Amino acid sequence: MLGSFAVLRKQSLLGDAISHAALPGIAIAFLITGTKDSNILLLGALISGLIGTFWIRGIITKTHLKSDTALGLILSLFFGFGMLLLTFIQKQPNANQAGLDKYLFGQAATLVESDVWMMAIVTGACLFVLLLFWKEFKILLFDADYTKTLGFNTKFIDVLITTFIVLAIVLGLQTVGVVLMSAMLLAPAAAARQWTNSLSVMVLLAALFGAFSGVFGTAISASQNNLSTGPVIVIIAGVFVLISFIFSPSRGLLFKQIRFIKNRRDLELKKTLAFMFHIAETHENISHPHTIKILNNFQGFTKGTLQKLVKKNYVRLDGTMWSLTEEGFKTASNLFNQQTDNNE
Amino acid sequence: MSNAQIEIQLIASLVAVACAIPGTFLVLRKMAMISDAISHSILPGIVIGFFITQDLNSPLLILLAALTGIITVVLVEYIQKTGLVKEDTAIGLVFPILFSIGVIMIAKNANDVHLDVDAVLLGELAFAPFDRLIIGGADVGPKSLWIIGCILIITVGLLMAFFKELKISTFDAGLAASLGFSPSIIHYGLMTVSSVTTVGAFDAVGAILVVALMISPAATAYLLTNNLKRMLIYSIGFGVFSAIAGYWLAHWLDASIAGSITTMLGLLFLAVYLFAPSRGVIAVMYREKQQRTEVSLLTFLLHLKNHTEESERHVNHLNEHINWQKVRSKTVLDLALKNNMIKFDKNIVSLTEKGEEFTSQAIDYIITNQDSKIEHMKDDFFLFRG
Repeated sequence: MLGSFAVLRKQSLLGDAISHAALPGIAIAFLITGTKDSNILLLGALISGLIGTFWIRGIITKTHLKSDTALGLILSLFFGFGMLLLTFIQKQPNANQAGLDKYLFGQAATLVESDVWMMAIVTGACLFVLLLFWKEFKILLFDADYTKTLGFNTKFIDVLITTFIVLAIVLGLQTVGVVLMSAMLLAPAAAARQWTNSLSVMVLLAALFGAFSGVFGTAISASQNNLSTGPVIVIIAGVFVLISFIFSPSRGLLFKQIRFIKNRRDLELKKTLAFMFHIAETHENISHPHTIKILNNFQGFTKGTLQKLVKKNYVRLDGTMWSLTEEGFKTASNLFNQQTDNNE
Repeated sequence: MSNAQIEIQLIASLVAVACAIPGTFLVLRKMAMISDAISHSILPGIVIGFFITQDLNSPLLILLAALTGIITVVLVEYIQKTGLVKEDTAIGLVFPILFSIGVIMIAKNANDVHLDVDAVLLGELAFAPFDRLIIGGADVGPKSLWIIGCILIITVGLLMAFFKELKISTFDAGLAASLGFSPSIIHYGLMTVSSVTTVGAFDAVGAILVVALMISPAATAYLLTNNLKRMLIYSIGFGVFSAIAGYWLAHWLDASIAGSITTMLGLLFLAVYLFAPSRGVIAVMYREKQQRTEVSLLTFLLHLKNHTEESERHVNHLNEHINWQKVRSKTVLDLALKNNMIKFDKNIVSLTEKGEEFTSQAIDYIITNQDSKIEHMKDDFFLFRG
């Protein structure tokens, strides 16, 4: 759901970066407390995720490095540091350490009831804040400068959105793991984007897609053994995206292609008609019959187009001869006029 | 230092160099995230290769993995070209899906073999020396050393051969195209080299470290220089340094080598980010502060020039009128005094002759925006230096 904002803000890869950046937070939280209480670990992840995010911001604004470099940099550095800490922890004499790396790939099956409650609460909070600041979020998203002139505290709203994105990611980590979190954030939003231009519809759709892929993914992975949940969910989400890309009515590839072909056919039809018109023009009687053969050296002519022209009652066919009808002549001359009009 | 230790450091350094070269161009071409995508999405390629050959070290594996890397790039570009989503979203969509496919394939079919996601993602440099290449019964060194060595030689060779083309197409794709180099060939060439390097390196150091080694040294070098050749050299230097330092850190902490090399890279970047002479955060902050003071000074002088009444020029009044805090006003006043631009007369501030002249020149500059007017002031004032 929050992914919609990330996608529209062109910060799609932020999710990836944050999910990696959360790792050292988990490790440090564990090092400090020595327990495996998931809430404390999540807090650590949240903090280090936020640090990562704001450092990325800092790099982009303070230096000439581009956003992709900043993202990649923070992602790999934090993750590497997290790995260092994790391996360091493994050498520590603490029996509790096992299972920390479940955060890496996630195991939805290992979730316990309290985790689910925690998620529900945070999701509720996200929803509440989203509704509360809906207008502000929306306006900041599409026109940041305007928002500033209206007197909103853009920085505050920005931080708020970012915090919630980070929060959502950190929560999701447990379920699908570091690598796949970015897909969970992006895929539903990218799919939803194809169906609508309205932000509210998009957010709703994204939530729906996300929930669906979650349910389906879990179901499929539960039905067969040896199939981890996270990847299956991601692939389901990917299928959603693919379907959306291809079949969405206004932006989809399929309909685009159909429109494209239709346009081309239309153009060919008109070209043929114009060509006929030029031939017919040279005769006094516009309905003077000509052989079909002379059309053959004209590209764009096919039997199909001729049939279509006949159907539209522009052309009369008589054996191997064709002739323009009155109506066809009129349309053809208008066609010509329109074209010149358009050119001017 | 034992033989194995030297070998590990050698491998790490070679990987660092091999990654730094394509990394520099990736950073300059704003495609840094592609390397991340590649490093994840080569997983299915490796898995398929493994199914075919049943051997983790066959060259076919590298070939297939590189192929998946290129497929990733092509897919990302195709999705982007449809105009349905932005480039970053396209990257973010493609690689997790490919990665998921890889993970599922491993989980379903390769449970009983030595191929596990952790190993692929994280690599284990410490074991590299144990996997030796035996030719004709003679031990010629660790396998990964040879693999990465070959890749490095190819990369360097390509770099030497196409340096000019790479340079032009990186900085001015339009010019490159008009000169007759095909930007897309160079683009895909670079992508291929990156994929191959990623694949060759990740066996030894893991996917995450490959990304770190590609991006971080280049980004660090980019903060220090604008010269492409120097940037290449710096990033190679940084890479090698952190590879070796990282090894010793890992040795000392008894932790993962890949992780500690990355940490070293992070520390290096942090240091440069903060202290780089012209682009570091501290330098930028210092410059901004100085500029702010100078702008304040100018405002202050203009204010003095505009007002002849004594009440407007009283020290206390200035504080509230221009709305500065005490400290700020003091800095500005000190600066003005030091430059002999103002004088005090019973707490009434007035401009000296020099101050008058300076202010009129500044006004001239503001109005005409011609550099010639302030040519001689540039040495004293940051503000006018561009």
